[in-house]
Amino acid sequence: MIARLGGAIRDAALATLVAFGLFVVMVGLRTDVAPGGELFLRQRWADVALLCALVFAGRLLVSLWGLRPHSLGQSPGRAALTAKLGTFFAPALLAFALVLPFVPGIGRYELDLGILVLTYVMLGWGLNIVVGLAGLLDLGYVAFYAVGAYSYALLAENFGFSFWICLPLAGILAAFWGILLGFPVLRLRGDYLAIVTLAFGEIIRIVLLNWTELTNGPNGMTGIPRPTFFGLPFSMSGEPDTFAGFFGLEPSPIHRVIFLYYLILVLALLTNWVTIRIRRQPIGRAWEALREDEIACRALGINVTATKLTAFALGAMFGGFAGAFFATRQGFISPESFTFIESAIILAIVVLGGMGSQIGVAVAAIVMIGGFELFRDLEEWRMLVFGAAMVVIMVLRPRGLVGSRTPSIALGERRAVSAAHVSEGKG
Amino acid sequence: MSAQLAMPGTASAGPILEVDALTMRFGGLLAVDAVSFTARRGDITALIGPNGAGKTTVFNCITGFYRPTAGALRLHRDRGGVAELQRLKDHNIARAGVARTFQNIRLFPGMTALENLLIAQHVVLNAATGFGIGALLGLGGYRAAEAAAVGRATAWLRATGLIERADDPAGALPYGAQRRLEIARAMCTAPALLCLDEPAAGLNPRESEELATLLRAIRDGAAAEGAAPTSVLLIEHDMGIVMGISDHVVVLDHGKKIAEGPPIVVRNDRHVIAAYLGEDEEA
Repeated sequence: MIARLGGAIRDAALATLVAFGLFVVMVGLRTDVAPGGELFLRQRWADVALLCALVFAGRLLVSLWGLRPHSLGQSPGRAALTAKLGTFFAPALLAFALVLPFVPGIGRYELDLGILVLTYVMLGWGLNIVVGLAGLLDLGYVAFYAVGAYSYALLAENFGFSFWICLPLAGILAAFWGILLGFPVLRLRGDYLAIVTLAFGEIIRIVLLNWTELTNGPNGMTGIPRPTFFGLPFSMSGEPDTFAGFFGLEPSPIHRVIFLYYLILVLALLTNWVTIRIRRQPIGRAWEALREDEIACRALGINVTATKLTAFALGAMFGGFAGAFFATRQGFISPESFTFIESAIILAIVVLGGMGSQIGVAVAAIVMIGGFELFRDLEEWRMLVFGAAMVVIMVLRPRGLVGSRTPSIALGERRAVSAAHVSEGKG
Repeated sequence: MSAQLAMPGTASAGPILEVDALTMRFGGLLAVDAVSFTARRGDITALIGPNGAGKTTVFNCITGFYRPTAGALRLHRDRGGVAELQRLKDHNIARAGVARTFQNIRLFPGMTALENLLIAQHVVLNAATGFGIGALLGLGGYRAAEAAAVGRATAWLRATGLIERADDPAGALPYGAQRRLEIARAMCTAPALLCLDEPAAGLNPRESEELATLLRAIRDGAAAEGAAPTSVLLIEHDMGIVMGISDHVVVLDHGKKIAEGPPIVVRNDRHVIAAYLGEDEEA
């Protein structure tokens, strides 16, 4: 302990020395303009001392409490604690999501933010199938989101289908596009696959932008039918055939927001349920095996192409569902909503959450989307703080928030597989 | 499981694999030059030769990782009928009944030993799920199939002495255990022919001895509960193992077959000694 303390102090002193060298010139000496107009050198030794003290204290804490990537979650005691917390955390989070609209003080803004976060949770879970489980790096996931959104908009406007008919159709169409893209592309691996999926995402967006007769081009599609509560529209009139009138409630615009909130919650939970179920089925295990070692899969008689296609199609389908939801929520869509940055954000959520982990992806979506809103007051510093936060998280947890993997089956007790053994996949 | 059960290969059965004038050319390099041999059902056939002799190339042709330039590979199925392996894609070769291990172990390191063995039974299990839909809804037929698969996996974990490590990630197992797990995984596909690429590489003498016992038991169908007798084709450098367990030995050198026969004959063959010791053949 004494030796450790001595080492830590020596380490901190060294860091302080380096900091001192830097701060003397950067902070300690400053040229200012005197009232007379001439320049003079101002000395700020107190500031330098303060900064050096901060560095010393910070460095000492870091070396004493072991705030290092490889020490976090390594000790068995801490791992057990994390696991115990994890078992309570997910149900608690779900319960919170369920009661959120009725928590006092939760208004329209908070609910809208909740809907946005849940949309990204769902997209993250959908992409998690492709990237996290099957290990296929997909940079064009937003294309399926766009296909879903435009499918809903076109079907609803041209054929007058209701939301509940359009939703599965949008999912099926997105899955169809997933398979169509998958066939030529899935023989590529790693970086090559990533580039081609990126290109596919751009192709879809540019087609939507230029096919003016069908999609109205850059002006977007307006007047997309809003969702109804199983045929009862949300309207302010209070007629008996509206939601409020039917249930004898005071008409309020919040009803639709609450309905949308629960709708996306149900859709996201459906994605989660299907993924959890499939992970324990042969096809889900084959996805993970594919991520671990594709050649071994082939030697075991697994049809690699078909397996990759199922992952791609299923991920695309959930992207399509989310797209249909997005269209009905906004009532307006344009190609601008489906740029590459969206794909990047969804991928960042999956990577930050820990590839393959359901709860990790959910937390990452809350952090990424919610955190971005939280920093709104910081104005132009927002991106900087946000970027720094991401860097810190990735330094502390290089394999994402939840890097370990839960086995799909066990003879005895199910123990998490440490991230050190789990492969990231090479496409 | 025990050495006492091992019987000498009875030569009565017919062929399991016929390699007929197999040729593999990589550009200007002739890696395998019209090699022909037959592996008989119920035998352990060894493929030996100095480094660069073309053993692994022959292996990769049989298991579909390379497509041969010329020649035929005929797998005689248990129920009669012949599969022309050179026409099949690799995963269909595995389905036809050829299982393999790799020289540098290729397990699924982040998955547990049990999961590794269940993935080996993917083809059977996936068919039982009704391609995902039945299993998603939790239908009964799948549960029975999964229980059977877990039973088979457990039997093989016992056979390879890994039952205690069933829930550990494959990547965390010691080297020798990983080798055995890979063999167990190949056997879980219920193959007609087990192809092993240097299974004893990196094993200590005691582990090598255990491996020899295991391979004999696999041949005789005594390795695990419910296991069928399985013909074995192996590449090996450890001559102790090769001479101890093989029923038939094929020797390759510079892509050509130079000798073939029972171990005792091959051991005393003039060409084989020349190839291994670098002696002048004409002397």
